[in-house]
Amino acid sequence: MDNVFLERIVAALLAGVGVTVEVTVGAMAVAVVIGLGLATVDFLAKARIVHALIRIYVEALRNIPSLTFLFLLYFGLAAVGIRLSSMVAAVLGLGLIGGAVAVDIFRSGLHSVPAGQKEAAASIGLTPFAAFRLIVLPQGLRLSLPSLGNYAVGLVKDTSLVAAIAAPEVMFSARQLVNETFETGLIYGCTALVYLALTTAVAGSLSFAERKLETP
Amino acid sequence: MMFFDTILANIGDWLPRMLTSLRTTLVLTVGAFCLAFMLALLLEYLRSRRLRAARLAARLYIALARGVPILVILYLIYFALPGAGMTLSSQLSAVIGLALVYAAYLAEVFRAGLDAVPAGQREAALSSGLTPIQTFRLILLPQAVRHTIAPLVINLVSLLKDSSIAALIAVPELTLVSREIMSESFLPLQVFTLTAVLYFLLAWPASLVARAIEQRLRYPSARTSSSKSLNQLKEAQASA
Repeated sequence: MDNVFLERIVAALLAGVGVTVEVTVGAMAVAVVIGLGLATVDFLAKARIVHALIRIYVEALRNIPSLTFLFLLYFGLAAVGIRLSSMVAAVLGLGLIGGAVAVDIFRSGLHSVPAGQKEAAASIGLTPFAAFRLIVLPQGLRLSLPSLGNYAVGLVKDTSLVAAIAAPEVMFSARQLVNETFETGLIYGCTALVYLALTTAVAGSLSFAERKLETP
Repeated sequence: MMFFDTILANIGDWLPRMLTSLRTTLVLTVGAFCLAFMLALLLEYLRSRRLRAARLAARLYIALARGVPILVILYLIYFALPGAGMTLSSQLSAVIGLALVYAAYLAEVFRAGLDAVPAGQREAALSSGLTPIQTFRLILLPQAVRHTIAPLVINLVSLLKDSSIAALIAVPELTLVSREIMSESFLPLQVFTLTAVLYFLLAWPASLVARAIEQRLRYPSARTSSSKSLNQLKEAQASA
């Protein structure tokens, strides 16, 4: 065991960390936009068909494995002429699944705001949309934060799956290095530590944000 | 439509193979869940001990298992253990790996269930002369169980989904076999749509059951929180 080899492991894993962070941030952004958008529509819309459509999206994507969905996007769409790069497929795939999770998170956050808040806002003359934007949304977002944090930690771990569609993230670099050096235990052990550091950092920063935003 | 025609034309060829691999998926899921359940009970027992080292070890284990992706753990077991002189088949590696991870999740479920029983229940039971074991068996456990059933079913569903990761260490379960069928037929969209439908048909009913249990078993106090019931009333009126 020499230092040159250790340096090589660190360099390979760090290169992967960049991609893992990119995929995580990208998928998180897609998930939050979809989740918040659909949860808002679900909260404000009266039409039954709208609720039903959102429900179908959520149930469909929450009940199939991420890996299957990634294969469907990456290999399936290529077959019908839509060729996504592995990075785009990774961000889009994890983001769409995350969106389904995030809709439920934001929805329950918004519904946890006491009904009196909405009623009081309406009684002082705010329009339903203004009441939503100024009163319900800020409180609902704060209530959603802990669940969103759990989801983010899960997302960091799920990015390891995109190695299967050849996005060059941590797991992919680790596997390549193993193929070259056969130092299986050491490399995958280091990989585990890298993921542990990433998930701990995400969990820590989210609970910090939670404390900052806590209502007195 | 072309898309469904292609699926229908090939279903006689694909479905038998998929169903065979589905059996592997189910064996993996059920095996890992049972093992995880027992491990989780052990973890929870360790965590409830007065012994500091035991508590610390259990908490460390749970933090590790929850912070590392399942794929990494499967790779460690399947590819790295042979280096230490222990070679496991891919199936066994998958069951053990999934169980090790889910033990940590289930331990949290058990803990949440026990925590949800008000402290007064335990104090009242002890003060009425029940032994600690009787208190646990007769008072705490029955109340805790109702809080754990729904999360257990939800974990079972996500374990079913995560069993697809075993494809990456060459366990011939549904996802791997679908990939094989894909590379023979060059019809990835149709093949993986069928795969997704199969997973969905298994997972969705279970999720619905979990949600139904959750609503049924909610404590009366939680069920009739005034603002919520007012909302439900309004919704019912609006939809009527």
